[in-house]
Amino acid sequence: MTTPTTTLFRSYIVEEYSLTEEPYYVPVGDEIDLFEAAYHSKIPVLFKGPTGCGKTRFVEYMSYRMGRPMTKVTAGRSDNRRAGGNGSLPLVTIACHEDLTASDLVGRYLLQGDSTIWIDGPLTRAVKAGGICYLDEIVEARKDTTVLIHPLTDHRRILPIEKRGELLEAADGFLLVMSYNPGYQSALKDLKHSTRQRFVAIEFDSPPPDIEAQIIEHESGIDADTAKRLAKLGEKVRNLREHGLAEGASTRLLIYAGKLMVNDISPRRACQVAVNWAVTDDEPLQRSIEEVISSIFE
Amino acid sequence: MDEQTVLTRERVLQELGAYPPEVSEEFEKSWKAMCASVNERQLADWAELGLRLAGETIRSWESAVEYFAASPRVVSMMPFNYFVRWAESGRDLNGTSPVLGAAYYRASPGAMARLRSRHIESWAAMGRSLYRGTWKSGALSTKFFESSPSLLETLTVPELERFVALLSQLSHRSYDLAAEAITAGLKIFPQLGEDKGAFLSMASSLAAGSWRQVKGLFEAASRSLPKVDPSHRMRFLELADRLREAGVSASESMIEVSAAMGDMDRSTSGEILGFAERLAGASPGAVTPFVRSCPPVLERVSMSQLTRWFDQGLATMQENSDAGLSYFKLESSRSLQILEALSSSVELARIKDLMERYCKALAGADVELRESRELADRHIGWVSEDAPSTEGRAVYVPSVFDKYPCKARNFTMYKVVSTHQVAHLEFGSFLFEYDRPSTRFNDLRPTLSGPRQRSDAAPEGEGGGSWVTDMQRFFDMFANRKLALDVFTVVEDGRLDAKVKKEYLGIRADYTAVQGDSVKSRPGIESLPAQEALVEFLVRISLDKKDGLTVPAKYANQAGRIARFARRVMDPDATVEDTAEAVIRIHAILDGIPNEQVEDWQYVDVDSEEEDDDLSPEEIENLLEQAAAGPEETPGGDGAESQYEQVREVDYRGEFKPETVQLLAQLRASRDAPADGNGEPMSQEALEELLASSAEVEMEAAEGGAKEAGGEFAENMLKEAGLSAPRSPDTGQGPLTHVDEGEGALDPTEPETFAYDEWDFRADDYKPNWCVVRQKGMAEGDPTFYSATLRSYGSLVNQVKRQFELMTPEMFKKVRKLEDGEEIDIDDVIEAVVDIKTGAGPSEKLYWRRNKVQRDVAVVFLLDTSASTAEAIEDTRKAADDWEAPDDPVEYMTWLRNRRGDGMRRSYKRIIDVEKEAVVLLINALESIGDLYGIYGFSGYGRENVEFYTVKDIGEALSQSVKNRIDRIAPLHATRMGPAIRHAASKLDGQDARTKLLFLISDGRPQDRGYSREGVEKEYAVHDTKKALDEARDKDINAFCLTVDKSGHDYLKYMCEDIGYEILENVYELPQRLLYLYKRLTM
Repeated sequence: MTTPTTTLFRSYIVEEYSLTEEPYYVPVGDEIDLFEAAYHSKIPVLFKGPTGCGKTRFVEYMSYRMGRPMTKVTAGRSDNRRAGGNGSLPLVTIACHEDLTASDLVGRYLLQGDSTIWIDGPLTRAVKAGGICYLDEIVEARKDTTVLIHPLTDHRRILPIEKRGELLEAADGFLLVMSYNPGYQSALKDLKHSTRQRFVAIEFDSPPPDIEAQIIEHESGIDADTAKRLAKLGEKVRNLREHGLAEGASTRLLIYAGKLMVNDISPRRACQVAVNWAVTDDEPLQRSIEEVISSIFE
Repeated sequence: MDEQTVLTRERVLQELGAYPPEVSEEFEKSWKAMCASVNERQLADWAELGLRLAGETIRSWESAVEYFAASPRVVSMMPFNYFVRWAESGRDLNGTSPVLGAAYYRASPGAMARLRSRHIESWAAMGRSLYRGTWKSGALSTKFFESSPSLLETLTVPELERFVALLSQLSHRSYDLAAEAITAGLKIFPQLGEDKGAFLSMASSLAAGSWRQVKGLFEAASRSLPKVDPSHRMRFLELADRLREAGVSASESMIEVSAAMGDMDRSTSGEILGFAERLAGASPGAVTPFVRSCPPVLERVSMSQLTRWFDQGLATMQENSDAGLSYFKLESSRSLQILEALSSSVELARIKDLMERYCKALAGADVELRESRELADRHIGWVSEDAPSTEGRAVYVPSVFDKYPCKARNFTMYKVVSTHQVAHLEFGSFLFEYDRPSTRFNDLRPTLSGPRQRSDAAPEGEGGGSWVTDMQRFFDMFANRKLALDVFTVVEDGRLDAKVKKEYLGIRADYTAVQGDSVKSRPGIESLPAQEALVEFLVRISLDKKDGLTVPAKYANQAGRIARFARRVMDPDATVEDTAEAVIRIHAILDGIPNEQVEDWQYVDVDSEEEDDDLSPEEIENLLEQAAAGPEETPGGDGAESQYEQVREVDYRGEFKPETVQLLAQLRASRDAPADGNGEPMSQEALEELLASSAEVEMEAAEGGAKEAGGEFAENMLKEAGLSAPRSPDTGQGPLTHVDEGEGALDPTEPETFAYDEWDFRADDYKPNWCVVRQKGMAEGDPTFYSATLRSYGSLVNQVKRQFELMTPEMFKKVRKLEDGEEIDIDDVIEAVVDIKTGAGPSEKLYWRRNKVQRDVAVVFLLDTSASTAEAIEDTRKAADDWEAPDDPVEYMTWLRNRRGDGMRRSYKRIIDVEKEAVVLLINALESIGDLYGIYGFSGYGRENVEFYTVKDIGEALSQSVKNRIDRIAPLHATRMGPAIRHAASKLDGQDARTKLLFLISDGRPQDRGYSREGVEKEYAVHDTKKALDEARDKDINAFCLTVDKSGHDYLKYMCEDIGYEILENVYELPQRLLYLYKRLTM
């Protein structure tokens, strides 16, 4: 007797992945308007900002929002509507790393038996499907990949597929979005100007305390008061950024701390593991943050 | 050898035949050697002497043997006439006792090597003095001669004489003892250094009295001295001597003291010795117990705390010596209590970094944490040396907290105090704006400010008044400024405390506890006259005390209103403007109450939730009138009414000077942006006047003094705000002889000079051999600078070191896509197969190889040491504090000297100082990764005098001398960058590293006399520098400019067109940034 196999996981074809539920996102400034305007004008977008401040969440949110007809800002642009119509733009996220080659993005021939078949890379798929292609941490990628996206990001909107001798024209809804963490000041020109000047840049930073508190409250399910305190902690820890801390506590970490608290971890302990120990290994610095935590939480 | 001599030899041998054969043998052995060093006559004399010696007494042949044996070596050490005297001395001794003579001759070769010829006789006499005809004394004397060579190694002749005197003294009692003393002396003297005199006099005075102890002393000394640090031995012995004089057993105390000192490290033992010396003056008997107690005490407390423990003990000792003794024996409860308190106290030094970051985090600004004393020392209005406070940019706290008997609670106290001070900054005490509306009151300020203008106001300022700060404008409204300030302080502190307790839940419990303790230490309300009692009442309200408060029965109603006003501000949402409004009201009420003695008191509770009221219309009317009248003299105490005394500050809140702080902020701002509107910076006179009217700055009582003090405060404040920058110190440069620019190429004829071309951008050509670079070595400076800097940057050093260690690359890196290599890359092969299948041409690059990667970097750092680097950085930072003192005594002295010197010279930091510190950190980091590096400074005046100082040459290894040189980097003359860059590039060019880097650190644009065309064009210098940088690039050298010149963007953009550059906003970031950039650039 055989038991029918049950699928223990959900899997999607890259370009068919889209969000079915509205992601939670609280706008801090005019980033939604900016993004919508850029999207409609087919201008690629670059997100800058420290880790965990909501760049990825924002792109998810926008892909959901842009895909829904009723959120279309300008009337008469129905051409943007997705054929699939399940309520969201496809979102192809590619995490860039230093070994990411052009063919990883575009696609490659694979051997199958005695013949070869062509497999589209994620970028190609996004271009074909007309979704948002999100290149996370673009500076990590090899230089040849950054050059590859050039023709996609200007008026041409084409993706040359060299191996097949094709030029692929981007579908209407396609938009390239990159994220990039400038980290320190621009001592070295991390991103080539020819690349970066093809994008409009939206800067992200940690949200102001009240908004951050709201986010923490929503995401972690902690009470409003504690969420406010967590936001305050985040703000205080970020103040140390100039004084030995490479990067401040991200909203993500604060949410983690909130989640731990919801699960009955004492506030101080939760902050210790989720914030203090997560942001730094420097012991004196940890002690200082410890004091901040013990001032804010009972 | 002539006939005569042969004859002499024959004759002597013949005569010596009468004695045992050893004599002749020795004679024969020495004969040849003697022949070589003396002439014939002398040879005859020598032989004759030996003969006579042998014949003197029955056993004197033994001496003769020794005489002959020693002669050849002795004669080589002195002229012959002295040699004769030496021999004669021996013969005399021999006459006394042949044993002595033999011993004398035997020891001679060794002793003579260390003895001057003129001391021969006295040496013989010393030996003789020990001999008293007995067998035992003969043995002693012999022993003395035997030991003489060794003794003379460490003792001078006078010392040896004293030692012999001591021996002779001892020998009257016991020859054995004296002999033992010699043995012990052999051991001890080498350890004594310069101070044998002290030891000898101590021993001899001991011998005079209790001679039996001498042996113990010698034993004790030989046991104890090795444990004592050489530099302290003399003091140690003197101490022991003093104790002995005072009747304490010297040997015992020496052993005890030295044992204890052996347990401590060198630096502490020196201080302990100092204490012991002080104690010896007061009570010698307590010294030993004290020193014995030190090691256990030091385990519990720090050295500075031990000092306090000792002082207490000394005081006790002076009152009652028995009590003092048990105190130092740690057998009194008082002693233990004090230790307990000390060990539980928390010193700022230990927690400074921790708390400073805490403050920074809370304030969200670059707040520093310092000792209150520093603020008082600056004489800008603050007086208390241990009250916490803030002047807007730093938080000042006492250097130590020992209020509670438990360390944790004292630390909590620190935290509460710091939190409160930071709250001033965090919650905007100093951001008060007169015209900003409050949130919880109907604003009275607009109505009040209307009618009155400051009488002497020059109407040019905006807003109709000439107030410098909003705070000043506010306080100007009040008749009784002191009272108003007190009320403001208390209400504002109350607001902050309430806010802190709301915002920082975690510290609330501790905060409340501290508040509670503060209430206990307040003066009793009932001891005060009415007005002051009500202010005190207000203080308690602000400390969140709600019940059990007494107020004058007569004014219970007013007290209730005051409390309600105050509590309305004690709300997390209240602002500093609310405080101001509350102050107006409370002041109005208080001002109406005479400061008279009160008989009837009444309890009030203030937790009643009464409806908030406000001032009655009459009261407001009254206020308006008052405001129109302007500040009047505080009504003097007539009759029952006494003058209002300012309230004592709440201990954990410390001093609060809103007016001064706002003023300082204003002054700083006016310096940063001098060109706004009527942007004339404030004159010192105006400031003095302003300070005189403020209630915050206490002018010393005396009439003339007040004026002077005001002037001093004003001057200091201007300095503080960086408005009148302290004059640059003398840079030590000689008078500049003016040399005409002249024409034509220069010829570097002197050694260590190099000629370089200079680029003339107008002519579009080089001026050949236009500049001469003179390469000079940097002189050496203070050896402690290097280590002190590393210490002061402790945490950064570790951090950087770790980061740099990570930089050392992996030895092997895989290189892919090669035509040939170690192995085939399967990915590429598959790709190639795929290509073949699809009909495309496959790539042939299918191999990968491990490439050995070695870090191969040569770097030259070029420091701009032009005169402009002597500019002070606005901030003053006290360089060194006590705990930074080096351990080594030699280092300590230099350190101390420098510190004193610094104190007089300057207490501010210059750009060059930060540059120097950056160099230190850099060296430390570079050493850990092993890059080749050179560090040079450059300056100069004129094209024929470009000075190029070598701090560390590129091939030179890091040595102490390099470290010393860093300290000597000093601001000099002008900045002719071009030739310096060219010279540095030529140095790099000689290296065959793969990566070559030229790092230029400057503070401004290149400029020099004649470094321009027709003396005007600034671009000339910039163009030449650019050209020099371009040349460097052509030599495959990467250049990078780091500058602290904020206005550097304009020329740097051109100058460093193709190379990296960076402008530092904050000079203090230089060390950190430099290291970071270096890392990035060489990765």
